[in-house]
Amino acid sequence: MKKFILVVALAMFTMLSFARTDVPNYVMVVPQKPGGGTSVWAQIVATELEKYLDGSITIKHIPGARDIPGFNKFHNELQHEDNVIMVSHGGNGVAFLQENVDYNYADYESVGLMNLNIIMGIHNDADENNPKFAGGSGMVPEAFAMALMICGPDKSLAQYIRCFQRHVIWVRGMSSGERRLAWKRGELTGTRENPAAFKKHVMPAVEEGRARVWMHHGILNASEGTHSDDPNYPGLQLEILFEQKWGVAPSGEFYDAYKLVKSFRDGLQKALWVSKGNPNLEALREALLRLSVNEESMANIRKKVGDYQWLIGEQGNQQRDTLMTFVTEPALRTLIMFNREALGLDSVYKSHIVPEND
Amino acid sequence: MLTPASACCIKTLMNEIIALLGGTLYGLLIGIIPGAGATTGLVAIFSFIHLFGGDPYLGVIFCMAVVAASTTGDTYTGVLLGIPGANSAAATMVDGFPLALKGKATYAISAAVTTSTVNGLLWGSLVFFLLPWYTQLLMIFGVPELWAFMVLALATVGFVSSNLWIRSLIAIAIGIILGMIGTDPYTNSDRWTLGWGYLGDGIQLIPMVAGLFAIPELIAGLKNRAETAPRNNKDHWKQTIDGMKATWEHKWLGLRGGFIGAFVGVLPGLGGAIGDWMAYGAAVAANPKEEFGNGNIKGVIGPEGSNNAQKATSMIPTVLFGIPGASFAAVIMALFMYLDFELGTVDLANDEKFFSSLTFGFMWATAIVGVMCLLLTQYIARIAYVPYKYYFPILVAIMIWVCMQYTGGWEDFAIFVFCSVLGLACKKYKFSRPALLIGFILAPRVEALTYQITALYDINTLITRPIFLVIMTATIGIFVWGAFRKNRINYS
Repeated sequence: MKKFILVVALAMFTMLSFARTDVPNYVMVVPQKPGGGTSVWAQIVATELEKYLDGSITIKHIPGARDIPGFNKFHNELQHEDNVIMVSHGGNGVAFLQENVDYNYADYESVGLMNLNIIMGIHNDADENNPKFAGGSGMVPEAFAMALMICGPDKSLAQYIRCFQRHVIWVRGMSSGERRLAWKRGELTGTRENPAAFKKHVMPAVEEGRARVWMHHGILNASEGTHSDDPNYPGLQLEILFEQKWGVAPSGEFYDAYKLVKSFRDGLQKALWVSKGNPNLEALREALLRLSVNEESMANIRKKVGDYQWLIGEQGNQQRDTLMTFVTEPALRTLIMFNREALGLDSVYKSHIVPEND
Repeated sequence: MLTPASACCIKTLMNEIIALLGGTLYGLLIGIIPGAGATTGLVAIFSFIHLFGGDPYLGVIFCMAVVAASTTGDTYTGVLLGIPGANSAAATMVDGFPLALKGKATYAISAAVTTSTVNGLLWGSLVFFLLPWYTQLLMIFGVPELWAFMVLALATVGFVSSNLWIRSLIAIAIGIILGMIGTDPYTNSDRWTLGWGYLGDGIQLIPMVAGLFAIPELIAGLKNRAETAPRNNKDHWKQTIDGMKATWEHKWLGLRGGFIGAFVGVLPGLGGAIGDWMAYGAAVAANPKEEFGNGNIKGVIGPEGSNNAQKATSMIPTVLFGIPGASFAAVIMALFMYLDFELGTVDLANDEKFFSSLTFGFMWATAIVGVMCLLLTQYIARIAYVPYKYYFPILVAIMIWVCMQYTGGWEDFAIFVFCSVLGLACKKYKFSRPALLIGFILAPRVEALTYQITALYDINTLITRPIFLVIMTATIGIFVWGAFRKNRINYS
C-alpha cells in the first residue's frame, strides 16, 4: 500500500510540475469554464493578440456562479500582478448593477472593449402586446423594453410591474440553445440576439415572411452618452418606435433604469481590463490597436465571434465613464425593484456604486 | 503538383486519421485495463482535451473512437481475467471466462469481437448516417415532449435499471438534490450552497462521474485478483477462425442481442450493462436445454451483440436532446461542451461536419479495432496480464488531476473526495449509481422545463399533443410495471 501511495504522489507531482513549467508572459483571466461564449472569444482574441506582443498569452479559467468569482478574484488578488488581463462580458456588467460583487469597473484601466447592439425579433402572427419571451437575468433589458412599449409613458413603477405581469409570458430557465429552438418551434413568440446570431437565427424567418425585426436597443455613443439608431435596422430603435406609438419620447425613472441596464450589458459586451498603473497597459493597447487594423486578424475574429465595434484604449475608459453616469439612485432603485417584483430575481440595491455627487 | 487547397485537404485528412488512430489505441488500452472502460477513459480525456482547441472536430473523432474501441477492448479482461474492463463486458464474462480456463480464450474473444464489430457497424450506420435526419425531431419535440422525455428517463433508470427500485428512487432523489445545488434559475441567486461560494456554480459533472464510477471500480480492481486464465497461444489462428464461424453460425443470436442493445441505448438514461444482461437473458431463454455459465459460446455472442449497438444508439438522445443515453454519454456531453459543441441545439443540428466527425470516429474505430483484435489478439492479450498495480496509481492520479481542473483549489479535491465516498457507498449498499448520475444531470433541466411547461401550456393544450401523451403513458406504464413486477433481474 505504501508503494501505491508513493507512486500516486510521484505521478501527481510530475503532472503538477509539467503544468507549472510553462510560465506565460501574459495571463488572460476568463471568469467561466472552457467552451463558454466568452472563453471562445478570449481564446481567439488571445491567439491574434499574441502576434503583436512580445510574449505569449495563456488563458486562465476561473469559473464560478454566474461568472462572478473569477472577476472578484481579479479584483481582490490578481490585478496586482502586472501580467494579468481580465476578460469580462455583458453579464458581469449586469451583475455589477444588481448583485453583491467585489469588482468595480472604476478601479481598472480599459485595454479595449467591444460594444454591440441587441436586436429583438417577433413572429408575424404574434401579438406584440402579449409576447411569450425567454426570461432570466440576461434578458432584463428586453423586459424593460417590452414593458415600455406595451405599457406606454407616465406610469408608476407599480403600474409597470402589474402591466408587465399581465401582458408578458416570461418563460424562465431557458439556455440560449433552448431559446432558439423554442423560437423556431413557435413556442416563444419573441426572441433577441446579438447581431451575428440575429442574422443566423432570426433573419431567415424574417426573409421567409414568418417573422419581423421587432426593435433594438441602439448603439451607445460613449462621447455623448446617448444611444443611436443601428444602420443595419434603421428606424427600429426602441426610442424611435416608442415615440411613434405613444407620441412622446420615453423618459422618467423607468426609462432611465432601462438605459442603465442595457448600457451595462451591451456597452461592456466583451472587455479587457488591467489594474490602474499597470506598466504593460500601453503595450497591450498598442497591440490591440494594431490587431484592429489588420484585416486578416479581424477576419479571424469575425469568423468566430461576429463583427462588433471595438473601442480601444482611452475610448474604452470613456465608455466606462459614460456608463457610470447612468448609475443614479432612482434608476438603480427602479431596476432592482422591477427585477424583484416583476421578474422574480433576487437583486440587491447597492448604494455604494452610485457616484457620490448623484 | 499539389494545389494549396488539396494540400490543405490532405493535411486535414491526415489529422483526422491521427485523431482516429490515437482514439482507437487509447480506447483499446483503456478498455483492456480492468475496472476502467469507456467512462473512466473519457473522464481522463479532460487532462488533454485542450490539445484539440485548434480543431474541435478532431476532438469529436477522438472521443467517438475511444467509445467504440473501449467497448470492444474490455472483452479481453472479461474473458482472460474474469474481470470486466467495464460493466459492458460483465455479461460476456459469465461464459467467456470459463471458456478461457478451458484454453479457448482466443475462440471466445474472436466470437465476441466479431459479433461486437458487426453490430457496432450495423447500428452505427443506422444511427450516425441518419442522425442529421433525426434532428428533425427537434422541431417536433416541444417543451412538453422534452419534459415528458426527461421524466421517462428518470422512470426507466429508476425502475428498470436495477432490481432494487426503492434504492434506485433514493439514488435518483440524492442525485436530484445534488444537481439542484447551485444557482436558482428563478431568482438567479445561490441555492443550497450552505454559504460556500464555490458551490454557487453547482457540483461539477467530472468529479461526480469520476467519484461515482471510476474510483469505486478502480478500487474494486485491486481486490479482484483471484484467478486468471493461463496464457495459451496454441491453435491461435484455428481458434480465431472458429470464433468467427461461431458468430456466423449463431448470427441471429448476435443480431437479436444487437437489437436489444440498440433499444435499450435509445431509451434516455438507461444505457450501461442492462442491455447486455437482457441480451444474455434472451440467449439463455432461447436455448432452454443448454447449460450456460460454464463456457457456452452462445453466452458470449448474445451479450456482445448488445454493447456496441447500445453505445451507438445512446448517442441519439444525447446528441438530439442533450439527454445522456448512458453514463459515458454524460461525459461525452461535458467533453463536447468543452469543445464548444452544445448538444440539442439548432446550431449543432445544422453542423454537418460535426455529424460526419461522429460517424467517422465511431465507424472507423469500430472497424479498425475489430480487425486489430482478430489479427493481434495474442499480442493485445499481453496488456491484460500486466499487473494491475501498475495501472492503478496512474489512473487514480489522472482522475485526481482531471477533477482538479475546475478551479485548481482544495475545493475541487474536497468535492472529488465527497463524490468518491458517495460512489463507494452506493456500490457497497447497491444504490444505483447510474440512477444517481442521471438524477444529478437531469435535475436542473427538469426544473427548468417545469417552469417552461407551466408558463407556456395548460392541461387543455397538453392533452392535444399526442407525442406527449404517448411518452407520459409509457412513463406511467414503467412506474406500474417497475413497482409491481415479480421476476426481477439483478443487473448490478
